[in-house]
Amino acid sequence: MGGRTDELEDRSLRPLTGEFWAAVNRAELVRPVCNDCGQSFFVPQFACPYCQSTNWDYQPSSGRGRVYSHTTVHRPPTPAFTAPYVMADVDVEEGWHLLTWIVDCEPDQVAIDMPVSVKFVTGPDGHRLPAFAPDGAAR
Amino acid sequence: MSGTHPLHRVAIVGVAATEMARQIDTSSAEVSLRAALAALDDAGLGVADVDGVAARWPGPGGTVFQPGSADWAGVFGQPLRWVCDTYPQGVPGALDAAAAVAAGLCETALVFGGQAGVMGGSAVADYTRPDNEFIACWGSLTAAQFALVAQVYRHRHAPDPEQLAAIAAAIRNAGSANPAAVMAGRGPYTATDVLASPMVAEPFRLLDLCLATEGAAAMVITTTERARDLPQPPVAILGGGAEWHRQQYVNPPRYDEVWSLGADAARRAFDLAGLRPHDVDVFELYDINTYEVVRQFEMLGLCAEGEGAEYLWEAGIGTDGRHPLNTDGGLLSYSHIGWGGPTLKIVEAVRQLRGTAGPGQVPNAEVALVTGAGSGAQYHNVMVLGGG
Repeated sequence: MGGRTDELEDRSLRPLTGEFWAAVNRAELVRPVCNDCGQSFFVPQFACPYCQSTNWDYQPSSGRGRVYSHTTVHRPPTPAFTAPYVMADVDVEEGWHLLTWIVDCEPDQVAIDMPVSVKFVTGPDGHRLPAFAPDGAAR
Repeated sequence: MSGTHPLHRVAIVGVAATEMARQIDTSSAEVSLRAALAALDDAGLGVADVDGVAARWPGPGGTVFQPGSADWAGVFGQPLRWVCDTYPQGVPGALDAAAAVAAGLCETALVFGGQAGVMGGSAVADYTRPDNEFIACWGSLTAAQFALVAQVYRHRHAPDPEQLAAIAAAIRNAGSANPAAVMAGRGPYTATDVLASPMVAEPFRLLDLCLATEGAAAMVITTTERARDLPQPPVAILGGGAEWHRQQYVNPPRYDEVWSLGADAARRAFDLAGLRPHDVDVFELYDINTYEVVRQFEMLGLCAEGEGAEYLWEAGIGTDGRHPLNTDGGLLSYSHIGWGGPTLKIVEAVRQLRGTAGPGQVPNAEVALVTGAGSGAQYHNVMVLGGG
């Protein structure tokens, strides 16, 4: 894991996950959905964890979910990140979950089960990222 | 109990740990070699006796996996009959080596590893910053992954902060008394000190969290028959088991899936041993953080979910308590040497059962429990050891 590079990597070229990042670049959230059993899953992997089918595609997500857990990080792993920030595991309503940030509110306002929606932000390396914000948070 | 299970026909006959420090000026391979040779010396054996090796190993027989990868057949100057590099440390390494010896794939296996020259003086070790594309972008670190689990526990069970902090203080005070510990002589610590230390990732404060240090650890496993001719009292592997839930540090660990991780492995380990968790005289638990200690007592069924901190507060965890644990100061205060850390737990358990553990010795320890990794890592393993 290097530091910030002068030229941004084209994440859409990554094997398996390129489509996810290409959508994020367009400020859209997608997730893998199995064409055989219909389940959503995350992170992207070559076979569906529910039925082992390799026949799956990325489909749009509503971007609505709830906070399953959260932690406020006060000591970042690298100087690239500015503390404090809220890391969270968000359950998205189509039945998948991801590690993300909760933004647009004070860290001590974040709570388990809080309803949140995707809010695209720019990470410290300059890439767009799918963070989440509390529903009703000021835009 | 029964002498017929294959694992009961092998024993741990040698252990060693090198010096431990925040930084050691050598390579991971060299510090690992030091530990390996010291463990052989402890066992009264030499390199010529080794025909099985579990260690970081490049090329045929394994894959390059830094730190500490080396051609160990080349280093030892002889071919080997059995090698393992998938998880060559701690409980899984010991169980794999024991199975290989029991099956006759080799007679004497050396399990070793550690790290040196990798820390670079930074406060956070590289290996605590997983570089997965869905993790690294959020500024994750190992402590934060475990914190996601602990936060749900805290939300549901509201453990007493002082009772939790007292666990960290007790383990750190054991480390203060251990001259070999990286934190030797530091402290004493109180629960108040732990609660006053800076927050790292909620709910973990600095003194709740393990070290990241350098050094290496090793053990020698052979047949009980061979062990009879060796100088050390053999330590028996009474039972063991492992659970691999998911690849670590990719998907965030979820409390509902991982809080009881290890319960099945523990059940199988104690069944094999013919013992129950209540029979354990000394616990060498993987203490990545304070909550993990609590979690493991709940996972073992020694108390109900949500009651671990209060249970340990009342039971006592020092050498005079009902559940003496992490008698060397643990990962919090003795040392956490990355991929060698899990083996340190076995080294201390073996010394406890021999009665040579030093200031942390538990009187008449006959049964020891060793564990590895934890909820945030999404795998856990358990081994029950008994005195010879």
